[in-house]
Amino acid sequence: MGASAEILFGGLFQGSLYAMMAVGLALVWTTIGVFNFSHGVFMMLGAYLAWQFVDIGLPLPVVLPLAVVAMAGIGWLLQASVVRPLIGRSNIVLVVVITTLAAASLIENGVLELWGPRSKQIPPLLDGNTTIGGVGVSMHQIAIIVITPVILVALWLFLNRTRLGLALRAVAQNEDASLLVGLNVTALYGLAFAIAAALAALAGIFLGGYRFMSPVMGADPLLKALIVVVFGGISSISGPIFAAYLIGFFEAASNYYFGLYWTPALLFAVLILTLMVRPEGMFVRSSRSLA
Amino acid sequence: MALLEIEGVSKAFGSLKAVDNVSFEVQAGEIFGIAGPNGSGKSTLFNIITGIPFGPDRGRVRLDGQEIQGRSGNAIAKLGLSRTFQRETSFDGLTVFENALIGATYGGAVKATAEAELRAAEALDFIGIGRAEFGRLAGELSVFDRKCLMLASAIAMRPKILLLDEPASSLTKPEVETSIGLIRKIAAHGITIVLIEHVLTFLMSLSQHLMVLNNGQILARGVPQEVIADPRVVEAYLGSRRPDL
Repeated sequence: MGASAEILFGGLFQGSLYAMMAVGLALVWTTIGVFNFSHGVFMMLGAYLAWQFVDIGLPLPVVLPLAVVAMAGIGWLLQASVVRPLIGRSNIVLVVVITTLAAASLIENGVLELWGPRSKQIPPLLDGNTTIGGVGVSMHQIAIIVITPVILVALWLFLNRTRLGLALRAVAQNEDASLLVGLNVTALYGLAFAIAAALAALAGIFLGGYRFMSPVMGADPLLKALIVVVFGGISSISGPIFAAYLIGFFEAASNYYFGLYWTPALLFAVLILTLMVRPEGMFVRSSRSLA
Repeated sequence: MALLEIEGVSKAFGSLKAVDNVSFEVQAGEIFGIAGPNGSGKSTLFNIITGIPFGPDRGRVRLDGQEIQGRSGNAIAKLGLSRTFQRETSFDGLTVFENALIGATYGGAVKATAEAELRAAEALDFIGIGRAEFGRLAGELSVFDRKCLMLASAIAMRPKILLLDEPASSLTKPEVETSIGLIRKIAAHGITIVLIEHVLTFLMSLSQHLMVLNNGQILARGVPQEVIADPRVVEAYLGSRRPDL
């Protein structure tokens, strides 16, 4: 019971964080067709903003929406400054990799300058620990495991049950046709980036309540999210969600049986194998779709 | 005053003049045909009128007296100018109903969801797409049904003018006949139509005025029967003899 419970909770926890990160990456890829390498720093900056708000005495229920909204705004601004001017260029995918990497480096160093190198931590969502199936689990982890599916369902409802969601799904499929039916494609690109940044910020706040934060804390989750979207397929939303939990369980099992040392190598083996066998991803359709 | 006024528009790609100093007017309520051999600049002309994906290098485009060149494609659509593409262009991952709904909601600028849904359903009914098809994904439809869906999405926007780019391409003869009927029905509904086609029989059966483009320039324009009798048009199409109607 101990091993399976540990793998189950470890997988659900890691899978939740990866799902939040990977969905944002997939949302940006599906709508704009670019890979955002500053997604990891969105996570880190969201966590640092939350820490700052907590530090000035704001309660966590206020801090959460404040940091998330602030990051949505920052995501919008980043899109407007380093992605939007490049839309329409034939080499946009490569150029945006470079511009978002450059932006990530600038933000990372800015955070280091502003908040310093000392590790920080955000208060957990819920205090205390509990034991389930013989495994000690923090209430913070349980809260994240429960909240993440709620957020993902809310995102699904937004995409499938609202006017804006319909517009985002349309622009993800056909830019010219979207313009023809009167959609403001530029604004929708900004919205996709803003939602992605907000989700990354939430993942950062969740992680910052569990581990110590540092300006490079987004690098590893970005790498894992990259593995997730390659494994699940980046051209949909549901594919990366399934993949996030599968990769989470795989990582938890690997950590348990092979140790932390071998896990990254095994994850990259999964990545390489996926690229060789099914490069479009395991759970993907032939066309881009926010489904 | 004409509904659509095109004044000296030009578009070049490097040294190639795709559209060269073209001017014409389309009156409200008419079906205006544009013919020309492949590569004559017909679709480029539609592109620069709609601003999707590019506007003109030079010249003016007026819709209902309002200059629209230089505006974004979505802003032009909201002013009442809609277009279909030669290739079936729908949102394949959305349902038939959602395709029409997005036209009504954004292009038609309908704020209330219930009103937008009603308008989308009306547009689909008008084109003859059965209610049983409303829930199907657009990508699952046949070529003809997808062309019909493009028309329904455009109608749902309640445009003043509809630009149709080769609506008969890739269709069977019975489907072409149905398309002719649909276009007449849309025009009878009060929507002005500009129609591109290189099949002259299709244009002749629909257009009140006809313009022929060749190498990006206007070769002839006027009443269809006179235009196709113009020796320059005959030569552009066939080299030496009159087009076979």
